[in-house]
Amino acid sequence: MLEIRDLVVGYGDVGVLWECSLHIERGEVVTLLGANGAGKTTLMRAISRIVESSSGTMTLDGIDITKAPSQDVVNAGIAHVPEGRKLWPEMTVEENVLLGAYPKRARAATYETLEEVYALFPRIKERRKQIAGTLSGGEQQMVAIGRGLMSLPELLMLDEPSLGLAPIIVGELFESIRAINARGTTVLLVEQNVMGALQVATRGYVLETGRVVTTGTRAELLASDEIQKAYLGL
Amino acid sequence: MSYGLALIYGVLKVINLANAGFLMLGAYVTWWMWSTWHVEPLLAPLVIVPLFFGVGFLIEKFLVRRVLGQEPIVSLLLLFGLWLVLQNLAYTLFTGDTRSIETPFIDSSVHLGPIQIAWPRIYVFVAGVLALVALQTLLTRTQLGRAIRAVAQDRDAAKITGIDVDRVMGIAFGLGIALTGFAGSLLSLLFSFNPDFGRTLLLKSFCIIVLGGLDSFVGVAFGALALALAEAFGVRYMAASLQNLISFVVLVVVLVAFPKGIAGMIRSLRRA
Ligand SMILES: Nc1ncnc2c1ncn2[C@@H]1O[C@H](COP(=O)(O)OP(=O)(O)OP(=O)(O)O)[C@@H](O)[C@H]1O
Ligand SMILES: [Mg+2]
Repeated sequence: MLEIRDLVVGYGDVGVLWECSLHIERGEVVTLLGANGAGKTTLMRAISRIVESSSGTMTLDGIDITKAPSQDVVNAGIAHVPEGRKLWPEMTVEENVLLGAYPKRARAATYETLEEVYALFPRIKERRKQIAGTLSGGEQQMVAIGRGLMSLPELLMLDEPSLGLAPIIVGELFESIRAINARGTTVLLVEQNVMGALQVATRGYVLETGRVVTTGTRAELLASDEIQKAYLGL
Repeated sequence: MSYGLALIYGVLKVINLANAGFLMLGAYVTWWMWSTWHVEPLLAPLVIVPLFFGVGFLIEKFLVRRVLGQEPIVSLLLLFGLWLVLQNLAYTLFTGDTRSIETPFIDSSVHLGPIQIAWPRIYVFVAGVLALVALQTLLTRTQLGRAIRAVAQDRDAAKITGIDVDRVMGIAFGLGIALTGFAGSLLSLLFSFNPDFGRTLLLKSFCIIVLGGLDSFVGVAFGALALALAEAFGVRYMAASLQNLISFVVLVVVLVAFPKGIAGMIRSLRRA
């Protein structure tokens, strides 16, 4: 569904991604692994069109989105749950979630989707009147994912959702991701928690200083020496 | 007018120095429709609000957007220049003569026991409160309003969520100009004016907004109240001509004491 070819991205003169190519098929959970600074966040920001790419192409279901404005990308069905959550800290939880339905594709179904999101994360329903900035890290992550789901995405991109969460919450989070995927949403997952990511993912890519160096199915990645040495400490 | 300034600053992070010009034009449009077509001045906002909204939207789209993200001085100069253009436009169209509007309603007043209050003052006060309520409702109850606040709080987060940030900024600028034109129309019922109208009010608006905190509307309302009280007490003890000095003094004191304004102060108290 998403096809990225030879994408080159930089900030100013500094190159970050070099000829990255990857593809994601409908229904998959694809994980993107790599050390700090490898360019995982940059790749997601390039897909959301928050940063410009200098060459390469991106297509979604055959439609070119390489130069599309960011709101068109969301409206085409790609939701981005960014690193660090990026909630609007002074708005209530419910306002944060509701804004996820701002794109045209999701507007008509706003309140139905809201109920589904609340069903998936009952905790944020309890806290819907609370100011988002005062939530715990785990709750904020649920709000960020809920906001992403409100746009009725076909592809949900999650950038380090487990960052800073207690292990027990991380378990719940991966369960939620699995549930979201089971309802038919494709997922692209960036994680530091490689073991956790490889448990939900069907396939993965490893990024090293801006290049795709390894790719394979979950089993292949788990078996590969590089992954075992670099990330699993085996 | 303060609301207009605060709205534009909050969303675009640009201080609209041309605001005084739109306030003045709001007054002139009201006067001009009344003197040439005998349009009831109380109805003028029905024309002014949509007209000024459209003008504001276009100014954002074709002028202000080009300087967003550059050094603040660039937008300050652009909008200061726009103010000069608007002033000179008014001199050309309406001359420098002082104008005022007189209708039976404007000269009427009501006796409440020993005090006499002019009807237009009551009307302007009520209309101002209604405008605040309408703005607050828009900002908290509608998706567009929430999107405006979202862009003000975190522009990148708004983009990622699929909000058309450029369009929202245009709408916010248009709304700011519309509110200012509305204020100008209301003030033309109370004061006589010339093309320089709004200059001292611009200063006062800054003061009110700084008092209230730069992006809180309830804070702006409190700021207006605090300044009005300070001025009312101030003039008892000093010459009325020094009234504007009070704005300055309050502005400096507040900037030194609470750099985040009253809203920031309340917020930090709440956190503590
Ligand atoms: N806004 C920016 N301006 C300049 N350089 C940037 C910017 N954002 C990221 N970079 C640089 O781009 C490179 C890749 O960063 P990126 O955030 O994509 O890495 P990452 O793989 O997400 O890392 P992490 O695991 O720490 O989140 C880094 O060297 C970083 O310093
Ligand atoms: Mg990152």
